[in-house]
Amino acid sequence: MATQALAQPLQNADELIDSVETFIFDCDGDSLIEGVPETLDMLRAKGKRLVFVTNNSTKSRKQYGKKFETLGLTVNAEEIFASSFAVAAYLKSIDFPKDKKVYVIGEDGILKELELAGYQYVGGPEDGGKKIELKPGFLMEHDEDVGAVVVGFDRYFNYYKVQYGTLCIRENPGCLFIATNRDAVTHLTDAQEWAGGGSMVGALVGSTQREPLVVGKPSTFMMDYLANEFGISKSQICMVGDRLDTDILFGQNGGCKTLLVLSGVTTLPVLQSPNNTIQPDFYTNKISDFLSLKAAAV
Amino acid sequence: MSSSSQRLSVENLKDLLDSVQAFLFDCDGVIWKGDQLIDGASQTLHMLRSKGKKLVFVTNNSWKSRSQYAEKFKSLGISVSPDEIFSSSFAAAMYLKVNNFPTQKKVYVIGGDGILDELQLAGFTAFGGPGDADKTIDWKQSGIFEHDKSVGAVVVGIDPKINYYKLQYGTLCIRENPGCLFIATNRDAVGHMTPSQEWPGAGCMVAAICGSTQKEPVVVGKPSTFMMDFLLEKFDLSCSKMCMVGDRLDTDILFGQSAGCKTLLVLS
Repeated sequence: MATQALAQPLQNADELIDSVETFIFDCDGDSLIEGVPETLDMLRAKGKRLVFVTNNSTKSRKQYGKKFETLGLTVNAEEIFASSFAVAAYLKSIDFPKDKKVYVIGEDGILKELELAGYQYVGGPEDGGKKIELKPGFLMEHDEDVGAVVVGFDRYFNYYKVQYGTLCIRENPGCLFIATNRDAVTHLTDAQEWAGGGSMVGALVGSTQREPLVVGKPSTFMMDYLANEFGISKSQICMVGDRLDTDILFGQNGGCKTLLVLSGVTTLPVLQSPNNTIQPDFYTNKISDFLSLKAAAV
Repeated sequence: MSSSSQRLSVENLKDLLDSVQAFLFDCDGVIWKGDQLIDGASQTLHMLRSKGKKLVFVTNNSWKSRSQYAEKFKSLGISVSPDEIFSSSFAAAMYLKVNNFPTQKKVYVIGGDGILDELQLAGFTAFGGPGDADKTIDWKQSGIFEHDKSVGAVVVGIDPKINYYKLQYGTLCIRENPGCLFIATNRDAVGHMTPSQEWPGAGCMVAAICGSTQKEPVVVGKPSTFMMDFLLEKFDLSCSKMCMVGDRLDTDILFGQSAGCKTLLVLS
C-alpha cells in the first residue's frame, strides 16, 4: 500500500497562500468556530477567492449569507457553495433543458436556487401536505415533463413525494436522479443529531433501485465546477477543514491541496497516530495562523 | 447454469400434485390483487385441500396481522385459519421470540397495526406505528427530541404514513440505544397497494433508515431464510415435498430455491 507523505506543519503561510488561488472552507464542522474576520479579509485583500462549502440545502446561498452575518463573518452569497446551489450548478453544467421540469423532494433552499437559475420546478415543501387514499380507482398522475428528481434533506417528507419521485424516475425516459448529499445525520440543533439527507435519498434508492448522482460532499463535483468556472487548476485550490475523513479526504479526492486545522475535532495525536492513513498536505493550529509569517508553535 | 423453467401442462401438473404435500402461496398477485380475488383462485385452493394438500400463505405484506389476513380471505369467500398464514408482521414477532428478546425492552415500529398487533400478541411492548403518523416537530422551539432509552428493537415495514418524526425516532433508537436491533419485515421495492399501479414498498422505508443509521437490518421476510426455517420446523414439512407458488422472481422464487423446494411462477 502506497503511503502518503506525512503532513507538514504550516511554517511559511505566505508560500501556501501565494500558490493557491481559491481557499475552500468547510462550514459543517468546527473549523469556522474560531471566527476569523481578519484572516478572511487578508486573503481577500491578496485577491484570493474564498468558498464556503456546506451540505445544507434548506437555505439558498443568500439566506445562508445572512446566517454568517449573525456569526460575525462577512461572507458574500457568491462565496457560498451550499448543496442547494450545487444542484442548480450541476443542471447548468449539463445544459439541462429549460423546457423540462425538476421535481423536488427537499426544502426551500433548493427551490430558490432552481428559480434563480431559471429552471421550472414542481414539488418542494407544499407537497408535504398532500394526502393519498390507497383505494381501488385511485391513480397518482405525474408530470411527464419532469426530467430530473432532486432529493435532499426534507423535514416534510411523506409517501406522496416518494411515489411521485419514483414514478418520474421509473417512467419518464432519461429522468435524472440527483441527491444533494447522503449525510446520515445532520446537526440541526447543537444538542443532538437529526436524520439527514441520506435518509430521504435512501428511501428513493429503495423504491427505484437506482443510485443517484450526488452533488454535495464528498462528491468532487464542486471542485470540478470551481476549476472550470474560474479557469484554474485543482492545485490552485486549497481545502481547509478540521476532519480527516470528510474535509481532507474530500480535498484530496478533488485533487486539491489540503490544510488541516487543529481547532476542531482532530487533535495532533490523532493526525500522527499510526492508525491514521489520511495525510493532509499541511496542518496548523487555527485559521488565523495565516496572519503570522512564521508557524505558530504546535 | 440452472435448467430453464417449464410451463405447467396437464402432464407435469399431475406429477407436481403427486409429489408435493404442501403448497406455499404468496398472496399479493397470486391469490388477490389489491382487494380483488384473482380468477379461479378459490376453486384451486379448494381442489388442493380436497386432495389432502397442506396450504400455507406466506406474505411479505406487514400491514395486516394474521387474523386480519384471515378476515380478508373470508371476505373473498375463502376459508383460511390464521395458523395457515405467515405474514412478515408475524415473522418480526417470531424473530424476537426465537432470539429471546427481553420483554422488559420495548419495540419501536415504523409500519402498520399488523406489526403492532403481532408484537403485542407475542407478549412484547410495542409502540409507534400509525399513532405516530400525525406527529410533527415544532422547529421554532429548539428543544430536545426525546426517545425512549428502553427501546431494544426498531421494526420497519411498509408505511404509507412515513414522516420525519418516525425517521428521527427510529434513527435515534438505533444509533443511541446500546445493542438496539434493526429489523426489516422485508425489502420489496414496490407493492400493489392499489390495483392500477405500483407503490413504494417496505424497501423504501427500510432504506431510509439504512441511510440515517448506516446499518443493515436483519430481514425476516422473503427471500430471507428465517421465514422458511421457522415454517419447516413449525409445520414439520420437508422441502422436497413443498412447492412455493409466487409472482416475483427476486422474493418468492428465490425464497423457494434457497430452501430447496419446488417453485412455480404465476404470471398474474
